[in-house]
Amino acid sequence: MTPAQVPVAVWLLFAAPISAILFGFFVMRPLKPEWTHWPILASCAVVVAAAFSLTARVLGGRSFDVNLYRWAATNGWAVDAGIRIDGVGMAVLSMVALVGSLIHVYAAAYMRGEKGFSRFFLVFHLFFLAMIGLLTANNYVQLYLFWELVGVSSYLLIGYWFHKESARKAALKAILVNRVGDFGFLLALLYILATFKVSHFHLIYLQVSAGQGLAALPVIGLLLIWAACAKSAQFPLYFWLPDAMEGPTPTSALMHAATMVTAGVFLLVRSWPLIAVVPWLPHLVAGIGAFTALFAGIVACTKKDLKRILAYSTVSHLGLMMLALGLGQVGLAVFHLVVHGFFKAALFLCAGNIGHAIHKPTADVDEVGGWRKAMPVTYGIFLVSSLSLAGIWPLAGFYSKDAILDAARRGGGWIGVASLAIGALSAFYIFRMLFLTFHGDRPEQQQLSHHPHEGTLDFVLPVALLAAGAAFAGLWAPHLETLLVYGWHGLPMGLPNMPGTLNLPGSPIIPRLDWHDALGVGSLMAALGLAGAYYLTMVDQSWDWRWRAASPLLESVFESDFGWKTLMDAIASGTVSFARVVGRTFDKGWWDGLIEGTATASRRGADALAEFSQGRLNDYLWWMAAAAALLLGGALR
Amino acid sequence: MSAAIWAITGVLFAAGLAMAVLRRQLLAMLLGVELMLAAVNVSLVHSAGLFSDAQAMAAVAIVIAVAAAEAVVGLSLILRALRTGRGVEAGAYTELRG
Repeated sequence: MTPAQVPVAVWLLFAAPISAILFGFFVMRPLKPEWTHWPILASCAVVVAAAFSLTARVLGGRSFDVNLYRWAATNGWAVDAGIRIDGVGMAVLSMVALVGSLIHVYAAAYMRGEKGFSRFFLVFHLFFLAMIGLLTANNYVQLYLFWELVGVSSYLLIGYWFHKESARKAALKAILVNRVGDFGFLLALLYILATFKVSHFHLIYLQVSAGQGLAALPVIGLLLIWAACAKSAQFPLYFWLPDAMEGPTPTSALMHAATMVTAGVFLLVRSWPLIAVVPWLPHLVAGIGAFTALFAGIVACTKKDLKRILAYSTVSHLGLMMLALGLGQVGLAVFHLVVHGFFKAALFLCAGNIGHAIHKPTADVDEVGGWRKAMPVTYGIFLVSSLSLAGIWPLAGFYSKDAILDAARRGGGWIGVASLAIGALSAFYIFRMLFLTFHGDRPEQQQLSHHPHEGTLDFVLPVALLAAGAAFAGLWAPHLETLLVYGWHGLPMGLPNMPGTLNLPGSPIIPRLDWHDALGVGSLMAALGLAGAYYLTMVDQSWDWRWRAASPLLESVFESDFGWKTLMDAIASGTVSFARVVGRTFDKGWWDGLIEGTATASRRGADALAEFSQGRLNDYLWWMAAAAALLLGGALR
Repeated sequence: MSAAIWAITGVLFAAGLAMAVLRRQLLAMLLGVELMLAAVNVSLVHSAGLFSDAQAMAAVAIVIAVAAAEAVVGLSLILRALRTGRGVEAGAYTELRG
């Protein structure tokens, strides 16, 4: 395929957001800032259409990978700018485009009248553009550039309310923790270039399949997993994500569902043919994922801030995607990524609606309660999305999440046991949140004087569409499977005995759960969690307050994520103090001492020499004569 | 002949230098400088004859002009110094002291 044959949809995928951002910045922002969202919403529509037409193309077996421009070349290797429209990219991009666009529509309503509306929308769309670029890159260098652009946009959006110190700190934390991961990616990138002499995914897949560069793969895989742990908020680098709630709610929704955290999982899916050939790396990924899912699930049960509960839930579900990958279920990981995008975006936007009703950026479970009558539509949306998240049959979450837990259970070991707990915990925390928010008029809330109200149609409609996705996205599974099996551009995945092709490791097959699996262990655990949440919020209404009052120590343990946040804070402040000491010793002490010593020495020397100069005219003449005699003597000799 | 002229110019130059360096009165120092210039002029005229080179003559003319100008500037500076009431002794002017 030559550049001229690249379908117009690919160009639109980039041309629409770029021109919308430029038009918004140069025309709308100076003239009519409150209209900045119009060109951007138009661009969203174009992107959705383009993404789905390309998905249809790949489903029809016409995936492609084309270099458009040689960006840098040396004797040893070259870096190209290119486009790869393949199954895994389109599987994620179709979800990202759809969910991201619905969040754009919601953001237009949510941010209306906000100071800095146009700044918000331009950066928001840049975030979206970065993700599109990341998903269509055909080599690691290009992927890395967009990966960084995602990081920068998230920094700008988390710190959107930059007059708030907490927002500034959260933004700084997010970008610093991400830098730690980016450093891993950079090392991986350099090692890949040094080993394979190319950065194109396709050529690397071919080389690895031919058995080249295998010795470098353990380190490369480890570095890539390190990078993914920061971006996808996995233990030990997860802790920036819950603080990232400081941004406006649409930012959280976009970040958690579509653009930011999925990048890490996507990176691992892209690199899976490299990682999976090292036998112990998938186990590591599965271990990290299971541990993070369990850990974040426990912590989510104890949080009070609505958005914070959802943030930990995202960490937990990203852990599940990692777990699925680690088990070799690439198809399941991508499937859950897509389903999670829908229900998590819907849940976040519901939290946005709740916050909007009390005119605050976020709400605490103490401030809300019994709102199902005041906000019936939001309640319905929240209920559907929660059921999907908890994995209740027949919603989409059941087919994706329970299949992962099922695979983990069949794998056995501690991960199998953990999977049972994860199933119960996710039902518990989401229904605890639902009951505390929408049910139960607890005595503690009688004195609250809020008058919650449902938002207008533009607040409700995009969220309802997302909830519909959360309910029915399971139907997309066969198409995702086709995309992943045949969409690797001539390298089918995990299907042995296909003549004339190479097989990539990892199974693209999405295990289909049947309705009678709903009577199995997974659903039992979800039901247990749901019942537990019901009992501890509706029957024993003051439990949530009682245990906090009874044991402040326990609460502080949960508040600090079992001490991990305290440890990380200690490391961060330790680094700062260390840098301060180093700065004082080396910069102030040695280096400045050297410079100031030079100055002092010259000053002292000058003072000493000045003693000879008494200002007497005859002395000067005498020296002049002596110097002239010396010079003359030297010249004549 | 040549040696005598060299000796005279040398003595003249040395006397001018000693005058400029050792005497404390500004006027005497200026005179010493003029004497050195004159000594150089004499040696230049002699060398011009010795090497049959007219450039030395041109240099002499320039030195005479410069000496005249220098005398004007020097004398007027000394006059100014006199007007300040600090006298014409070089020891009274130590502003360049380090």
